[in-house]
Formats: sequence, structure tokens, C-alpha cells
Amino acid sequence: MSEKTNEKKFTGENILEIKDLVVHYETDDGCVQAVNGLSFSIGRERTLGLVGETGAGKTTTALSILNLVPSPPGVIKSGSIVLDGEDVLQMSEKELEQMRGNDVAMIFQDPMTALNPVITVGEQIAESIMLHEHVSQKEAMERAKEMLKLVGIAESRAYEYPHQFSGGMKQRVVIAIALTCQPNLLIADEPTTALDVTIQAQVLDLMQDLIRRNHMSMLLITHDLGVVAEVCNDVAVMYAGRIVEIGSTDEVFNATAHPYTEGLFGSLPNLKDQGEELEPIRGMMPDPMHLPEGCAFAPRCPYATEACSASVPYLRPMGGTHFVACHAYDRENFRLRRNQNG
Amino acid sequence: MSEMKTNTASAMTMEELKEFKGRSMAQETWRRLLKNKGAIVGMIFMILLVVIACAGDIIYDYETDVIGFSADLSQGPSLKHPFGTDQMGRDVFARVIYGARYSLIIGVGSVALGLVVGLILGSLAGFYGGFMDQLVMRANDILYAIPNIMLAVVIVQLIGTSVFSLVVALSISSATSFAKITRASVMTIQGQEYIESAYAMGLPTWKIILRHVIPNCLSPIIVQVTLAIGSNIISASSLSFLGVGVPTPMPEWGTMLSDARQYIRSAPWMCIFPGLAIMFTVLALNLLGDGLRDALDPKLKR
Repeated sequence: MSEKTNEKKFTGENILEIKDLVVHYETDDGCVQAVNGLSFSIGRERTLGLVGETGAGKTTTALSILNLVPSPPGVIKSGSIVLDGEDVLQMSEKELEQMRGNDVAMIFQDPMTALNPVITVGEQIAESIMLHEHVSQKEAMERAKEMLKLVGIAESRAYEYPHQFSGGMKQRVVIAIALTCQPNLLIADEPTTALDVTIQAQVLDLMQDLIRRNHMSMLLITHDLGVVAEVCNDVAVMYAGRIVEIGSTDEVFNATAHPYTEGLFGSLPNLKDQGEELEPIRGMMPDPMHLPEGCAFAPRCPYATEACSASVPYLRPMGGTHFVACHAYDRENFRLRRNQNG
Repeated sequence: MSEMKTNTASAMTMEELKEFKGRSMAQETWRRLLKNKGAIVGMIFMILLVVIACAGDIIYDYETDVIGFSADLSQGPSLKHPFGTDQMGRDVFARVIYGARYSLIIGVGSVALGLVVGLILGSLAGFYGGFMDQLVMRANDILYAIPNIMLAVVIVQLIGTSVFSLVVALSISSATSFAKITRASVMTIQGQEYIESAYAMGLPTWKIILRHVIPNCLSPIIVQVTLAIGSNIISASSLSFLGVGVPTPMPEWGTMLSDARQYIRSAPWMCIFPGLAIMFTVLALNLLGDGLRDALDPKLKR
């Protein structure tokens, strides 16, 4: 295990680099523009939180990394996804099967349905080991039991079926499956959304611990800013298939630059000002079949001007690793309300 | 007192829990099946029928008792001939027992053949969708539009009257329903996250179909198998009754009924017993099928 991690450390700076990714779903009713020119990268042993509303294209992005966008109707139009120096979109089916689970593993949102109900938990973990490391069934089963122990489940339960486990335990099993082959990158698609709050904390702690121990990177997809603050090094905020703000967690939380991010924070209850009314973002997510011209957030944005609908804003540097895609910064001395009084 | 009661109660649940642990789905289903009285009756009847059909040779000789002649013409039920004898002096009980072989072979054979064909076509249609789905399902619709019996009559006429041609003819109608059921469940299973997760794990498609998709659609198929055996036994008997099934000297239940028609007033036992045999066999299979459906339904888990 340590050999493998050492080898990982010295190849390239970023584990994952996505450039100008465009993914559309071409349905009979029209073309759903799920991801529109998305770019970001994840550094080695770093955790990036991908935040955004339902329908922003987060899951599509995650599936693209595994080249698993359901096709038809999904089409990856353009862009590149470079994983450890290799473009995922150019890989053959064989290479993809080799990559999935071995280099990149994914944890799905709902642990209740992410496990096959007719196969024992141990066998489901062993399946991945047998596939990628070509070991005997017996050996794989032993390894599976070790993995179970690692995620805090008694070895003896390896012979039980998913329906005999609670939700939190199922998610632990899913984590065990994802981590058995020690992937370099873990994609977690809302791993705690389906769990109750106390279990959420446990599962997050477990994931963080395992990731640190195995020197892995993680893409954490969530809409829970609290989870992001706790777990992530970097944050990317996604809106209508584009990154609108990206930076380190500290930069995005303390020097919020995009009106949409400000809106997200405004919709959260604040423990310090308990009497205060919440400020939801007005309007709805745009229909991804008919995105507005220019900045997709402009129709909902309190700072929007005519310039916003004219062109799509580019990601401009805000200092450090902080980037924001907003036309408002063309104006001199523009500051978000949130940042205006200290 | 009340404390003691709760203590024993919690001890019991603990024990039950222990018992519940480490039990596979098959064992769980078996346990629930045994709780269903109808299913037990059906199962016992079917086991008896199979045993008797297999043991027929020990009691009766095929050449003399089943297709031969004897002097005891058209006798009513007696100790010597429990179901009476027919117009040629053959023992009706012996013929019913041998008839069970035909019915079971045709019923099981046609369902097995139909199951294999239906399972393959249904999984292909459900898994790949699109053109494959259209092709399989439209062909299915065409076959569905023709009455089963008529289709079977035509096929038997084409390839000749024999047990084999009956099996082939009946398997076609079973195949259509199996293909439909398989396709529907494959499509439901495919949307499940564990299939997506299996892909994300890097499993090749054939392994996903074999290990994750098919085992999960088995419950509705198992139920359909038991019910289809019953309905195919009826169809086989109907075809024989119409004269396009198993030819006369052979003791198929439908053939026996057809032969006994003319004697229904003078020797009613000749048609009552094969008729009852058909009825009870199909009833037993339906009871078993209903029991299986309840046992396999996860929503009824207690």
C-alpha cells in the first residue's frame, strides 16, 4: 500500500484537470445543456467541494470523469478530462474498465439503493478486489473483511445482506467498496444527503480519515455548505453548468465574490443572528434547455446590468487561487453587500 | 411482574434477531413460503405427483395396463381398479399416472424452452433498449395478437403431431410472456444505483448483466414459471382434446378426456378422473405460484 502511494506522489501536480467540458443531453424534447464549458482541477491530496443547486450539472460532471454519462441521450460535446496525465475521453472501453474503481472510485448519493440486495456485503466488496487485483476469491474475501473492519463494521457481518444493515452502515459499506482498490481520486456524490445528521458527521469523519491515510484526492459533490467548510480544501461553485466561483475554502467563504455564492450563504440560517430573516435567491434555476444569453445567473442577480446579458463572463483572478466569473467586477470598486461592512 | 414480562419479551426479540441474522434471501423466502398453507398443499401435491409419475413403472406395465387390452371393459371404480377401466379394459388409474408424465414433461419442457428464449430476448431488449427493444417487442406484440391455441395448432400441424412439437408450440407463447416480464424487470433494475455503481467499479457489461441484473429480476420470473407450467398443462390437454396433441393410444390427460367423451353417460369415471387430475395439478401449481409471489415480495417482509 505504501509503495503505491509513494509512486502516486511524484507524477504531476494535479490528479485531475478538466478543461472546457461540454456535456449535453439530446432528448426528443430538445437539448439539455447540462455542462457548458466547465474547467477546474484538483491537486494531489486535496479535496474539492463542488457546490450548486439541483440541476446545476454536478452529477453529470462526476459521471463524465468516469466517462459514464448515460448515452443516449448524453453526449460529451467537447473538452478534455485529464486524469493522472491521461485523457479519460480518449480511453478505450478496456482502459476505462481498468481505470474505473482502480484509479477513480465513486460513492453514490443513496446508500439504500447503491448495494445489490441479493449479494452479501462481503462479496460486493470482494468483487471489486477480484476484478482489479486478480486474486483468488478467498483472498479477496479476507481483504473485504479487513475493509469492513476499517470502516468500523464487524468482520462477521461480511456474510450478511444489505437489508440487514442500517442506512449509515450501508454508506460505510459503499465507502469500503470505493476504497478497496486504493484509488487516487474519490468522487463522492452527495454522500451524506440521505443520512441523518449524527450519522452524517460520522461518515464524513470516516471519509476524511481514510482519505488522509491513503493520500487520496477527493471531489465532494454537495449542496451543504456546512459540509464543505468542514471537509474541503477548495470549493467550486457551479451554476447552470459553469463554474461561477472557485478558490480555497477560506477565500470563497470569507471573501465571497460571486453574487450567487452570496445568495447561497444568504439562504442559510446564521447561528449568530438568530432573529434575522433568511434571504432566499429570488427566481428559479433557468431551464437547462433554454439558458439565458450571457451570464446565466443575470435574471436572478440583484447586481445585474445590461452588460451581464451581453456575454458570458470569464473566470477572472481575484488574488491567490480565487477566481470569479462576474461582469460586475468591470465596475470600479464593486463589492458584494456581504463584504461591504467588514 | 411486569418487569419480568418485558425482560422475557426483550430476550425473545434478541433471540429472534439472532435467528434472523446471517440468513440468505433464499432461506428467508423458504421460511416465508412454509408459512403459507396453500403453498404447502400445492408443493406436497406436486411432489406426490412427480413421485407417482416416476414410480408408475413399478406398479403398472405400460404395454399391458396402459396401452394394451383386458377383459375388464368399462368397469366402475373398485379395489382392483381404483379409477375404473375404460372401453378397452385399460386401468384408468394407471393411465392417469402415466399421463402425469406427459403433462409434466410438456409443462416443464415448454416452460423451460420458453424461459431460455424469453430470458435472452427480454434481457437484450431491456438492457440495450432502442432498436433492439423495438425489434423484440414488436415481434412479441405480433405473437401476442394471435391466440395461443391457434398458433399451437398451426405449429403442430406444420411439424407433425408429437410430444416434441407440442413442447415447441407451447414454448412460443410462454416465451412471449417471459420476454415481457424480463424486459420490464431489467428496465427497472437498470435504473438502480447499484448498477451504476457496478459500472463505476469497472465491471464489464456482461458481468453486470449476469451478476447484478438477472439475479435481481428472478422473483417475478420464478412466480411466472410456476403459473406458466400450470397453464401450459391446460393448453397441452386442450390441444390433445382437440386431436392435435398427443395421439390416442398414449395416456395424455386431454387425449383421455377426448376418448371418454362418447362414454360420458355410461362410464363417467373415464372422464372424471383425468379431468380431476388436470384440475388438481393446475390448482396445486397456482397455489404454489401464489405462495411464491407472496414469499418473494419484499414488501410483505415481517
